[in-house]
Amino acid sequence: MIRVVLARLGQMAFVMAGISILVFLIFFATPGTDPAARIAGRNAAPEVLAAVRHDFGFDQPLAVQYVLLMKRLFVTGDLTSFVNRGQKVVPSILQAVPVTMSLVVGAALVWVVASVAVGTLACVWRGTVVDKALMILGLIGISMPVFWVGEVANLITQSRYHDTWLFSWVPGLGYVPLTQDPVGWFKALVIPWVALAILFVGLYGRVLRASLVEAYGEDFIRTARAKGLGEGRILFRHALRTSMVTFVSMFGLDFGLLVGGGALLTEVVFGLQGVGYLTYNALQNLDLPVIMATVMYASFFVVASNAAVDLIYAALDPRVRLARA
Amino acid sequence: MRLRTLLTTSALALGFAASAVQAAPDRAELMKQHRGGTLKLNAHGSAGTIDPQINYEAEFWQLLYTTNDGLVTFKKVEGKDSNDVVPDLAEAIPSPQDGGKTYVFKLRPGVKFSTGKDVMPSDVVASLQRVFKVSSPTAGSFFNGIVGADDCLKTPATCTLKDGVIGDDKAGTVTVHLTEPDADFFYKMSAVHASILPADTPAKDLGTTPAAATGPYMIESYNPDRGMKIVRNPYFKQFSADAQPDGYVDGIEYNFGLDDQAGVTAVANGQADWTFDDVPTDRLNELGTKYPKQVHVHTLLAYYYVPMNVNLAPFNNVKARQAVAYAVDRKALVGLFGGPNLASPLCQQLPAGMAGHEDYCPFTQKPGAKWTAPDMAKAKQLIEESGTKGAKITLIGDDKAIPKSIATYMQSLLRELGYDVDLRVVSHNIQFTYIQNTNNKVQISVSDWYQDYPAPSDFLGVLFSCASFHEGSDSSINISGFCDKKIDDDMKKAAATAVTDRAAADKMWAQVDREVTDAAPAAALFQPKRVDFVASRVGNFTYSDQIHFLFSQAWVQ
Repeated sequence: MIRVVLARLGQMAFVMAGISILVFLIFFATPGTDPAARIAGRNAAPEVLAAVRHDFGFDQPLAVQYVLLMKRLFVTGDLTSFVNRGQKVVPSILQAVPVTMSLVVGAALVWVVASVAVGTLACVWRGTVVDKALMILGLIGISMPVFWVGEVANLITQSRYHDTWLFSWVPGLGYVPLTQDPVGWFKALVIPWVALAILFVGLYGRVLRASLVEAYGEDFIRTARAKGLGEGRILFRHALRTSMVTFVSMFGLDFGLLVGGGALLTEVVFGLQGVGYLTYNALQNLDLPVIMATVMYASFFVVASNAAVDLIYAALDPRVRLARA
Repeated sequence: MRLRTLLTTSALALGFAASAVQAAPDRAELMKQHRGGTLKLNAHGSAGTIDPQINYEAEFWQLLYTTNDGLVTFKKVEGKDSNDVVPDLAEAIPSPQDGGKTYVFKLRPGVKFSTGKDVMPSDVVASLQRVFKVSSPTAGSFFNGIVGADDCLKTPATCTLKDGVIGDDKAGTVTVHLTEPDADFFYKMSAVHASILPADTPAKDLGTTPAAATGPYMIESYNPDRGMKIVRNPYFKQFSADAQPDGYVDGIEYNFGLDDQAGVTAVANGQADWTFDDVPTDRLNELGTKYPKQVHVHTLLAYYYVPMNVNLAPFNNVKARQAVAYAVDRKALVGLFGGPNLASPLCQQLPAGMAGHEDYCPFTQKPGAKWTAPDMAKAKQLIEESGTKGAKITLIGDDKAIPKSIATYMQSLLRELGYDVDLRVVSHNIQFTYIQNTNNKVQISVSDWYQDYPAPSDFLGVLFSCASFHEGSDSSINISGFCDKKIDDDMKKAAATAVTDRAAADKMWAQVDREVTDAAPAAALFQPKRVDFVASRVGNFTYSDQIHFLFSQAWVQ
């Protein structure tokens, strides 16, 4: 077991080192990305430009710059932004995490509950109008990009119908800390949760329905029926449980991606200052230290969620457990 | 600002006193009625460091003008007078001595920093040294005329300016020596970078730590990802209503996060009082019809232009450049910017309202004072004469909505003129430095320039003088690479004349403007306007040409 964990950690470090070198090289290989003049300010005199170049270490060899950057990110933790000078990158990410977590965990709850309901109902009534309607709705949900859903939601709730009884409760865009005002937190996040969850409800509902239908054709269901189990028990204890394997692996990866900053568009549209928003701004300003830190943070979550999915697999599906043993 | 009035110090002091007396009872009454509350501002993103001597973003200058002061500053009023320089921490605008090479500032007694310490001449000396020590963006362009600045630029760490800036704490004076007379000296000293900070302020970028304030407000906390909290400076006592009037609101909260669309919606809903970002053009109609009383439109001392590289084919041929200037349909471009209410066509390099601006438009159907319509026939004829037809051109655009639409328009126009044109759209944040560097071999691009101070030299001198051209550097603001010996001499003469006779100098600058416009290193497109949209509860919206919305003058109750 320890060997497995160590191997996993080794893989993780390897992947992250590779990504960091790639990001670093892309940043310096792209023409026009030299940050010195942008840091120095418009119409800076050549002497000022040279002084800034020296202060920020841009006159050093690339390899040295890379090592210094990594040292300041991982060892001393005092890496500062190129754009908002003096802003420490690590604390600013840590401070953005609760925002992203609030958004992603809430949305995940919405989409897990809704998609299990959609998938199960569609399977129970498979072939009927209900099934077809749910699947078409799911497809529509998948086809709507989240930034569009978000903008339309904002248009309706913030602009066109904000003054009506229906949406007058909607607070202005932005994040309200949970510890400061739980009700405000909920109000500020409920629309973003739904907007972010719509795509996943559609996707997961369809996938779950497909694997449920497939499971109903398997031998163990026939055995359960032969044992005289009730339909409800068969559905929830046997069919649904094994069908959750695909569901869980997808969930693990998506969740990891979103926590790592994949909810970027949702955060930007709803003005939530989370990790995705930070990444978006850093990309817009070509702020290398922040880009590097957010990419490292995101890759950590993607790699870690992969590992977690593997473990949960075993817990869910006896066949996986048996194969390993 | 006219220098003549500046030179007669006594008259100015008198005028200042009279206006203060007139305004005083009025202001006191208003202050009683409206004092209090919190002004809620929004911007899509923050704007970097809040070190007053380093930050170079309009977003924060607007704020730093209410927290910090220099020896002199722009008058904080609505209208044309807002371009005038008035004494701030100095008692009066000093008369020039030694033929305009020496100025002796006397500090106002009793002004305190937000730390409780008095503002002393030694603080002024340290602040001007600090400009160089922290490599302020304008150290080499605004403050290089101070005696000793050369050494400070070379080795910032040991900067003393010992022969250039001399403080006398006992007499309360600061003497500044210049290497040569500079007509724009007071404008440059009015910039936020010339703010006076306590002498013990660290000689490095303060970053997110607020500097000590001298204005009615001070920054309490700043988080570039979230927002900024500004509170009253407990040590502030109004010392000049013109230079630094007391503020109505008790605090200002600046939120960073909502983009331009969401920002406008928040203001409409009363969730925010004002948003920094430009109002999206598709919202203008809604604002004009639903909230006409909350919208304020003002002309900016700025212009959009198309710099053409005079050192690369095909635009090393003056006829090819003039052809572009003739062909541009400035009315169509004004339309792209939001219509005639938001911009006006411009043919010359000095925008309207700027000193030295005299209406001039050679590149139109009926050449004269104003632009009327593009002259395609003339443009095509010039292209034929230049022999550059069919040349391959790469046009560098920027990915923000309006510059991008301008670039797309320019691409189709250049094609119509017979060029083989590729459009390359570069990220907004990179484009400005990319097009400056000669190594990138940019032939033509779309750019804009906003004034730093209201002097013609800030456009013509900065954008088209030989001194602003640095080969192979990302900081070479003369994007066209234009360097004409005669025009350069004319600029120097105009700058020298301005020291003693501003009016005569303005005439000379007008001539330089015509010369540069004729040589067409850049085709001017239009002059933009600024739209400010404020919440219904905001009263006394005051707009200064230099600082824009004056936060300290607005009230919310």
